[in-house]
Formats: sequence, structure tokens, C-alpha cells
Amino acid sequence: MTPAALFLAVFVAYPLFRLISDSFFKISPLVGGPREFVGLDNYVRAFTSPDFISAGWRTFAYTLTVVTLEFALGLGMALLFTTLGRKSQVWRTLFLYPLMIAPIVAGLLWKFLMIDNFGLLGTLLHQAGILQDPNQIGWLSNPDIVLFSVAVPDIWLTTSFMCLVLFAGLQNIPGDLIEAARLDGARAPSLLFRIILPLLRPVIAVALVVRGIDAARAFDTILIQTNGGPQSASETMSLLVYRTMIRFGDPGLASAMGTIYLLAMLAIAFVAVTTIWRPGKDT
Amino acid sequence: MSIAEANNHGGRPTGPAAPLPAGVAHSNAQAPASAVAGRSAFQPGRSTSAPTPAGAGRKRRSVHREGLEAGKRSTRTILWILLAASLILYGFPFLYLLFTSFKTPIDTIAVPPTILPKEWTLQNYANALGRSGVPASFINSIQTAVISTLLSLVLSVPAAYGITRYKTRSGRIFIMAALVTRMVPPVAIGIPLASMMASVGLADTPIALSIAHTTISLPLSIWLMSSFFEAVPKDLEEAATVDGCSRLGALWRVVIPVVSGGIAVTAIFAFLASWNEFLFALLMTAIRSQTTPVVIANFQTQFGLDWGSMTALAAVYSIPVILLTLLLQRKIVAGMTLGAVKG
Repeated sequence: MTPAALFLAVFVAYPLFRLISDSFFKISPLVGGPREFVGLDNYVRAFTSPDFISAGWRTFAYTLTVVTLEFALGLGMALLFTTLGRKSQVWRTLFLYPLMIAPIVAGLLWKFLMIDNFGLLGTLLHQAGILQDPNQIGWLSNPDIVLFSVAVPDIWLTTSFMCLVLFAGLQNIPGDLIEAARLDGARAPSLLFRIILPLLRPVIAVALVVRGIDAARAFDTILIQTNGGPQSASETMSLLVYRTMIRFGDPGLASAMGTIYLLAMLAIAFVAVTTIWRPGKDT
Repeated sequence: MSIAEANNHGGRPTGPAAPLPAGVAHSNAQAPASAVAGRSAFQPGRSTSAPTPAGAGRKRRSVHREGLEAGKRSTRTILWILLAASLILYGFPFLYLLFTSFKTPIDTIAVPPTILPKEWTLQNYANALGRSGVPASFINSIQTAVISTLLSLVLSVPAAYGITRYKTRSGRIFIMAALVTRMVPPVAIGIPLASMMASVGLADTPIALSIAHTTISLPLSIWLMSSFFEAVPKDLEEAATVDGCSRLGALWRVVIPVVSGGIAVTAIFAFLASWNEFLFALLMTAIRSQTTPVVIANFQTQFGLDWGSMTALAAVYSIPVILLTLLLQRKIVAGMTLGAVKG
């Protein structure tokens, strides 16, 4: 246990400590450049920066979109596999394949599908008669919808994970219970909302929290698709911190933003775990 | 006599009962032949084949309805169609990537795009793999992922063992700390980590990057390994100590072999985490140790928009791990669900 603890201390805790301490300095981007202690100035600048506030909201909206859709689709697939029973096993395996694909590849692939002019998605919708013009929807170029477009690869990649976890949870629900409810005349919707979902609660909580954390940290897929654009309409927190650090060369401000970001995630995860999971209350 | 002999080897669960088709497997069918061999051979034969008929019976009944399974034939047909539709939708994007990689470079950006290539060619593959830096990036990716996997195993196996065997307060705190580590945005620690590596002379090396990747995979590995160790009965280890094994000997000779499947799962996850990682690779590598994801991303800026080569390289990079994981899928499914459902 000690070596692992030591490793995490050196390579995670120490950089974190550096991050937090850097956030109190004004740092020149040059290596070995001057450092000047500025107290909470970076935090003040972060909170008064409209970029930071809107990136925060965008991260929130992005995470909510990704997790909600993934949960709905994942639950649907898990129920489908469960109701089909053992014969669907092979298909269950095939359904897992996106999990092995690098996010960067997924981002590229969907960019290729949604890009203006030669993107396949617009063309197919046009041929199906839904759109008048293949370029009618600028998936990645319209600032109003781009945040949802960049979420698609993320949803595509990890719905499988959600499905897998929920499927495993469904297997643990005793069949007798369902049988009994059916005998009492429960129909499918009430079966789902009164029995299945409450029983799945702990599993759902873990899956939502795990995926929520990942989605809030999303970087690869967005960077490769739009680089935060157009007009920063898809710039989430990770991208803003990255740009502030690398492009604008302001490590002090970036560190302050990173620290706030981390604290916010810890707080939200804590609230989520205590409210959804409620360990001990349901079991 | 041949069946009786087979039964004598039949201590293993993969004994004579396994090859029989589930529907025909009645232990009685074997009885006349093995009766000749006398009682001693008959006993193991029964014990190995007995579970099969029971299992077969359950399987047959489940076709009607078990728990949540749908009963009516019409409902099932609709559900199958639904499943097929969603699988096609779900699988299509990657197939399109594959098809595109076989198009001619001009056709990849044709307007309007076609799904299938007009003519199949390997030109994109030749272009992509012939580009300088691409083969080297594959070697870097493999090196980094292997080092990171080993590092993650060496650190997580003893840690998880310690946590599950000596349930101390510090162990529980450590597990929580590992969970919190999962929440740290890589972008926040990437830069300090890179400058740390530079100050010890490891800048732009696979070792530095694999250490960074281990910070991602280690918490997960510890969680996974803990749940695998949890499943090993303590008596097993105690029995070994009574038989004269040292504590360390018991760990090495008894516990480790039992959890070897778990170690394999953990290794796959650590490998995948490193193989597919992009942000640390972007921040911590320059020319010498660049991994393939960074090279794929660079195709966009460096060479204009060469979609053909990009899709080819993406396919070459993804297919080996997809195949590997489909082959090992049972273990992976076990690992994923263990981590999430038990955690």
C-alpha cells in the first residue's frame, strides 16, 4: 500500500499542490520567468471573467446532456437485452465495441460525419427527405447547437458502459419480485418506475457519478471537433483552462481556474452521491 | 471402458459432461457404460455430469419467461427488430470510418458523400503509414502503454491486497483518496507534472508519459484489484500458512494464482487507458515520444485536411484493441461490472 500511496502523493498530490500554489502567483509563461505573489487576484480575475462563467455553464449543460441521454439510451438498451434474455448475448458483446475506441478517434469520426459540405449526416437526412438542403443544419458551425453536436461522440462512446452497468444491475433483481408484481396486475410502466428503478438506485448512482465526472472533464472529443469554437460556443472548462495555460500563457490564472473547477466537481459529486445514493436509507 | 477412463480424469469441471449438447445431457445415458467400471469410476462421473441436466432444464424454461424476460412471441419479434435497428445505428459510424479509409483520397471528400467506396484502394493506408513519425509513434504508444500497465500492476496489486486483508482506517481513507484522484481534471495537473518531469531530465520520454498515464489507471486498478481480492476466501490463505507457507509465500503461491484472472482484467484496463489517452500525451510529448493519438490529431493542422490518411490511421490504431477486447470480452465485462456494481 505504501508504494502506491507514495506514487499518488508524488505524481498527483504534489502537482495538485503546485497547481494551488501557482494560483496565488502572477507567472510569466517563460520557463524560469519571474513569479510575483498576487494573493487572490487570479481568483478575482477568474470570477469576473465572462469567459470563465460561460465556460462553467457550458460544462454544466454539456455534462447534463451527455449523462441524461446516455442514461436514457443505456437503460433502454439494458432493458432490451434483459427482456430478450440469453439469446442476445452475442449482440451484447458487439454493442461494447465503442468502449475500446480512443476518444480522439471518435471525435474525428463524428466530425467527419457532421462536417459541412461532405458530412454524411446532412446528406442522409437530405436524401431521407427530412432536410431540404444537406447543409441546412450546421452541426459544428452553428454556435447555438454546437455544444450538443460535440456531445454526440461522447454519448456514442460510453452509452455502452451505462448499458453494461445497468444490465448487470438488472440481473441482480430477483425474478420472483417481478413475477409477483405481474400477478398483482402491474403493467410495464409501473413495473419500471415503481420496482425496477428504485431497486437499481445504487447502481444508477454509481454509474451517473462516474460518467458525470468523466463528462465534466471532457477534452479530447471537443478539442478535435471544434477546438472550442465557433466563437467559443463549445468551450468547456477543460478547454478554457488549457487555452489559458498554453495559448494565452497565463499559468497563474489557469491554475486558479483549475482549482475552482476541481473544487466545484468535488462538491457536485459529493452532493450527487449523498442525494441519489443515500446509502443505508433504501437498503 | 473408454468413458470410465474419461471419468477418471474427470475431476476437472471441463470433464466428460462439457462436450455433450445441453439438451441431450442426461447422466443416465452414461450409466450403462460406466457401470462396468465399478463404483469408484461411477462416482466422479455423476458428480461432473449432474449439474448439466439441471442447467439445461433451467435454460429451456427461461425461453418462456424468467423475471423480466418478455413472454409473447410478437413482443419478442418487435424487440428483436428494435435491437437490430439500434445495433445498426450504433455500429454504422465505425463501419463508415472503415469504408472511407478504403476510398481514394479524392472520394473521401466528395460532395455528396457516398457510403461505400466507388473503388477500393489501399492508398490511404500507404499514405498514412508512410508519413514520417507514424511508425515511430506506434512504437511509442506500445512502449508507453506497456510500461504504464506494468507500473500500475506493480503498485496496485500489493496496495489492494493490503487494503482488503488488513482492514484499517488508513486503508479506507486511501480508497477514498484514490476515488478523489479520479475527479482531478488532467488538464489541471498536466502542466505541473510536465515541468516536474523536465526537472528530472525525463521530458519527452515514454517513461514520463507512462507515469502520467499511471496516475489515471492506478486508482481504477486499486478499486478493481480490491474487489478481486475481496472475493478470495480468507481460509484459503490461512490453510496455506498452516501448511507451512510464509505469509509472503501464501500470497505468491496461493492468492496470486487465484486472482490471476482479475490481474488480467486490471492489466487490460490499464493498457486501454494509456493507449487511448490524449491530453497528457499532448502536453508531455514533443517529437521523440509522441504517441499515435497526438499524431492523428496533428494530421488536422499539419497537413491540411487529409481525411483519407486520418481515417486509415485511426482504423489501424483502433482495430487491434477492438479485436483484442472482443476476444477477451468475458473478462472485461466482469471487470467493468465488478468495479461499478460492487463499488
